[in-house]
Amino acid sequence: MKEISLILNLSELLKKSINLLKLVFLAQLLLLSASCGDSQTNVEKGNINGTLYWGNGTEPQSLDPQIATGVPEHHVISALMEGLVLKDRKTLLPKPGVAESWDISDDGRVYTFKIRDNARWSNGDSLTANDFVWSWWRALQPALGNLYAYMLFPIENAQEYYEGALTDFSKVGAKALDENTLQVTLNHPTPYFLQLLDHYSLFPVHKETIEKFGAADERGTRWTYAGNLVGNGAFTLDEWEINRKILVKKNKNYWDSDNVDLNEIVFLPIDNMVTEERMFRAGQLHVTSSLPADKIAAYKEIDDSPMRISPYLGTYFYRINVDVPHLQDPRIRRALAMAIDRVNLVEKITKGGQIPAYAMTPPGTMGYFPESSLQYDPERARKLLSDAGYPNGKDFPITEILYNTNEGHRKIAIAIQEMWKKNLNIDIQILNQEWKVYLDSESAGEYQISRAGWIGDYVDPNNFLDMFICEGGNNRTGWCNEEYDDLILKIAPATKSHKERLEIFQKAETMLLDDMPVIPIYTYTSIQLIDSAVKNFDSNIMNHAYYKDIYLESLN
Amino acid sequence: MDKLNNITSQVEASSELKSSSLWRDAWIRLSKNRLAIAGLIVLLTLIMISLLTPIIAPYGYEEQNLAIGATAPSEEHLLGTDIFGRDMLTRIMYGGRVSLMVGFVATSVALVIGISWGAIAGFFGGRLDAVMMRIVDALYALPFMIFIILLMVVFGRNILLLFLAIGAVEWLTMARIVRSQVMSIRNQEFIEAAYSIGLTRWVIIKKHIIPNTIGPVIVYTTLTIPSVMLLEAFLSFLGLGIQPPQSSWGLLINYGVETMEEYPWLLIFPGMALSLTLFSLNFLGDGLRDALDPRASKD
Repeated sequence: MKEISLILNLSELLKKSINLLKLVFLAQLLLLSASCGDSQTNVEKGNINGTLYWGNGTEPQSLDPQIATGVPEHHVISALMEGLVLKDRKTLLPKPGVAESWDISDDGRVYTFKIRDNARWSNGDSLTANDFVWSWWRALQPALGNLYAYMLFPIENAQEYYEGALTDFSKVGAKALDENTLQVTLNHPTPYFLQLLDHYSLFPVHKETIEKFGAADERGTRWTYAGNLVGNGAFTLDEWEINRKILVKKNKNYWDSDNVDLNEIVFLPIDNMVTEERMFRAGQLHVTSSLPADKIAAYKEIDDSPMRISPYLGTYFYRINVDVPHLQDPRIRRALAMAIDRVNLVEKITKGGQIPAYAMTPPGTMGYFPESSLQYDPERARKLLSDAGYPNGKDFPITEILYNTNEGHRKIAIAIQEMWKKNLNIDIQILNQEWKVYLDSESAGEYQISRAGWIGDYVDPNNFLDMFICEGGNNRTGWCNEEYDDLILKIAPATKSHKERLEIFQKAETMLLDDMPVIPIYTYTSIQLIDSAVKNFDSNIMNHAYYKDIYLESLN
Repeated sequence: MDKLNNITSQVEASSELKSSSLWRDAWIRLSKNRLAIAGLIVLLTLIMISLLTPIIAPYGYEEQNLAIGATAPSEEHLLGTDIFGRDMLTRIMYGGRVSLMVGFVATSVALVIGISWGAIAGFFGGRLDAVMMRIVDALYALPFMIFIILLMVVFGRNILLLFLAIGAVEWLTMARIVRSQVMSIRNQEFIEAAYSIGLTRWVIIKKHIIPNTIGPVIVYTTLTIPSVMLLEAFLSFLGLGIQPPQSSWGLLINYGVETMEEYPWLLIFPGMALSLTLFSLNFLGDGLRDALDPRASKD
């Protein structure tokens, strides 16, 4: 049956393409005097060839899943690799990925995964339980500088191993019982553990390839280059032209390749939103990564608008480097936070239905609604600042806001610059850097205040709070509070009831907000333009795209 | 005695008249050129406005009013407001200060270095010329962006430095133009005549060579000023030039382009300000070239 329908499809396709050729020919005749370009747009070509043109925002910093940290990286890596568990594209509930099934022990601490027999790497090697054990060993090598190492800390002894208290990796709770059986022992029953497995920091990586191009814990080797990279995802890396495009092609060795409809995905790094929107209008992109705020109103008025605004599990915030002398006093940091008029900011500047944020965790994450004493209160902000030794902002050193080059971030920074000037009478400078440079400056602590966004890796308040533990690679503020670490790492995971757990998160969140190493600004919405040909691309609060489900409908 | 006095004073008067005749002739010719005079007046007005901006600007250039956001021109805001609710008229006036200053300061730097370098190289020729022009070639080969970024890294972000940096890059073409002009002039008869009456080389360069290069130099200058203004916008856009909330015409236009469909006035008005300046400069430059051409004065 399948073959027949395929042939039917083919003949139909042929007819369509002949029709299209005729059309193109006619169009070319008509246009001959005016222009001699290609009259077919990317989208038209893509709909026929099964190529998805994806606006990826910015050039990925790395495609190494154990080094990368960011949404643009996520979009590419999730096409190239796959974890034990996938998520449903609508509900985000776990569903089988590399593991075809799993058992959870009664106490919730031991997970036994059954890995598919037909799970293979893109070079044809079979994918075994040992690959996962080796990958997680690599993820926990301190020399690798994995900012997401703490994602593995729920696993028994992983943290001790990472911190050097334990040198024997066989004591860490990840064991290959046989080729196809992986047993994972956790410190505590961790309700979100299955979700973690769909995050790239826990993806398997190909040992032979990595070792061919350098040491296992060496950063920036050539193993992630096109032609070298071996993955286990639905697509393989075919071309990577820096700042131009990343082309991935369907992986024939993928276990579920029969159900993958797309042939190719082209990731285009366009960090100028205006350019991206114009490219979309010109039919050069199927999906954009964002939309300039000023265009939202116009797109709202179109019937069958390609614009999609959906809730997004993420917080836009400013990091404060607490090691900077004049930002050490929590009162100053609170003053800064209180002097931001978030309501006006989201209504007049970002305009995309964002919700003003007064806490780190987005409201409603797993039934958690954080309470916060933070509000817009210029009066109190001024008082706090003067208590801290700067009455009316006098002698407050000029402070710099760092952001990665992007029109939206620039606008927010300008608005906040003026709010701080007006409310606190302090002078602010604005500095922009390209994404990779910006990430490096932030990690190295070479900034004063920096724009940041945190997009949930899994749906749990833990994800928004555990990055601020002392050693957390994504903390980057220099803030460290041992009591906070205890709450997040020891007390919360050990609690039995959900309600109790949320109370502990609330306590931790309050500690964080009292000290204010971060200034929450708003809860994201994802705003994208999506071509009507793109099907099965449902919105979910994590804005994860499951490329293997997506197909393109050719309209002509 | 009276007669003699009379004659001497006549001689003095006529010699005075003669010594100023080049510039007076030039001025007379320029004042006959209506476009050039119009350009001059517009330019002087713009400079006056820029100088007086802090006094006459209707609002503060950083004063935001998020509540109103971007509004079209109205009685309160003659040229509308940008998305932060900042008055566009004020921002264009302040932007003009930066743009005009960059234009004139950077171009003057380029003029001074370029003319002296080119004149010396062209006049002396030989090995000195070869060495000087190879230096120019080497600087040409140096990617301009890297040069500016290096300067910024070493000296920090400073608006005055930006002017100098742009000027220090723009003089190269000027030097080449002047040099080739000088080389064609230095073998002409009037230079030989100057030698023969015993003038020193420096006097010849100053009095005879440089004034004869003035035509192409003025034309090139009128081209340099706008390109310098745009260069400043480009650098500021990359975070190397002036920083928000300050602005310049180039930056205003840059951001205006992004929202030209939604808020066209954010593009049109700064664009008009810049074009007005460029037109004036071009007309004035044309007029000056015609007026100052020493060959024309001999007719």
